[in-house]
Amino acid sequence: MFRDITLGQYYPEQSIIHRLDPRVKLLGTLVYIITLFIGKSFFVYIPAAVFLVMIIALSRVPVSYVMRGVKPIIPLIIISAAFNIILTPGNDIVSFGIIHITSEGIYMAIFMAVRLFFLITGSSILTLTTTPTALTDGLEKGLRFLIIFKVPVHEIAMMMSIALRFIPILIEETDKIRKAQMARGADFESGNIMKRAKAMIPLLVPLFVSAFRRASDLAMAMEARCYHGSQGRTRMKPLVYKRLDFIAYGIIGAYLATVIIMRACGL
Amino acid sequence: MSIISAKKIKYAYPRKDDEGNETEPFVALDGVSLEANEGEFITILGHNGSGKSTFAKHLNALLVPDEGSVFIDGMDTSEDDYTLKIRETAGMVFQNPDNQMVSSVVDEEVGFGPENIGVPTEEIWKRVESALNAVGMYAYKESNPGRLSGGQKQRVAIASVLAMNPKCIVLDEPTAMLDPGGRKDVLDVLHDLNKRNGVTVILITHNMEEVTASDRVFVMDKGRVVMNGTPEEIFSRVEEMKSLRLDVPKVTILAHELKKSGLPLKDGILTSEELVREIMSLRI
Repeated sequence: MFRDITLGQYYPEQSIIHRLDPRVKLLGTLVYIITLFIGKSFFVYIPAAVFLVMIIALSRVPVSYVMRGVKPIIPLIIISAAFNIILTPGNDIVSFGIIHITSEGIYMAIFMAVRLFFLITGSSILTLTTTPTALTDGLEKGLRFLIIFKVPVHEIAMMMSIALRFIPILIEETDKIRKAQMARGADFESGNIMKRAKAMIPLLVPLFVSAFRRASDLAMAMEARCYHGSQGRTRMKPLVYKRLDFIAYGIIGAYLATVIIMRACGL
Repeated sequence: MSIISAKKIKYAYPRKDDEGNETEPFVALDGVSLEANEGEFITILGHNGSGKSTFAKHLNALLVPDEGSVFIDGMDTSEDDYTLKIRETAGMVFQNPDNQMVSSVVDEEVGFGPENIGVPTEEIWKRVESALNAVGMYAYKESNPGRLSGGQKQRVAIASVLAMNPKCIVLDEPTAMLDPGGRKDVLDVLHDLNKRNGVTVILITHNMEEVTASDRVFVMDKGRVVMNGTPEEIFSRVEEMKSLRLDVPKVTILAHELKKSGLPLKDGILTSEELVREIMSLRI
């Protein structure tokens, strides 16, 4: 169950999207998310869908692999859809007591579900096509200006990339602990929600202990390899904009403009 | 000139009881001295809790002795100004391969050390290439380290240290979590680096089979060096090794027992070939 999580995983491939500067991809993702929230009707999803399909095709990441990242979010989508159906006021279609299902509610539910779906797929493309280190470099360089506000940009970026690196390791570990506890009679599958939540404790405690141990090991290994913050650090893969990146910026700009114009036209 | 020179170092870990009051500190090193010359292959043997890992951390300035001194290539580890230079000179590989990897791509992982010491970009690429070639992992330069086998991960970890051009590599039980195949690969790489590139290797282990090919062996127990010498000298003292709860290679035990029952064999036989040769040359 845990091994299906592809959130924050890198998919190695040689594609145009993989080669793009991480700053371009970060900005692109940000623009993409913003456009999803600009639109008021389903029409906004047309350019978004075109944009997304184009990117996935260019990235050469198999669609099934991208969808695996969406799977764990499905319960969230269902819950939000349920709330939308129940809580949106409007013309009743069916009503049981205090629960009113309205046509506006159903519309909103579908609208939001599609939005969430686009949101997750779009942002997972970012991590699927960018190595954590490139992502860190991109964030670090793109957010360099925050240093004036004394934001430790390098440190935050480093922490993020290490967190991403350790996701699969900790997932594997969770699986191992789970099996070990099950072998000793722990029951994770039955009972109501409270009971199941309680059953998670013998899973989480060893996981946390081991995560701390790993953190301290890693800190020592990093120190042993002369890590001392961003000071005097050089780059193996320095970020330099190439022609491809400017073209990508152009496409992102054009996409944003399309959505804004659509919104201005009242769609 | 000796690349490592540890003189009578003492180190104690502070301890606290359940209420958080300081209690008697745990003495991990109690006057350890060790000299290593450039190009030597040295093994440090000891069972768990003998202080061998604590000693390893002193060679990389991760720990600084409470008493005594450690000099790496002439630099005092207690001087803060030298810390980075020392870590560049004496690289360190740890036991758990997963916990020492920073990046999700092999070449970036190997480049991490050179990046930290401010090597120019083109030079980093050259170093990464030659380091990965030296451990035979160049074909995997774009892989995810998580997908490699334990032995491969550990070879990448060695490459990561090599990329910093160290004069000396300290390995703290690098093979403890590996299967026999991975263990052999890692040891072959280490011996190769030692012979071909003249890198000084300090291998910390409790596996006897890894000791036989080294130049010198130090045996640690309770924070002290209790024996030191060539593998032949060390393993000829079978009874003493047993009293320290350390194994001796099976061939050596066999030779020792044969000698006890009257065969005039020499001490410290380490390989079966050697034993066969010795027995064949006996005139009975």
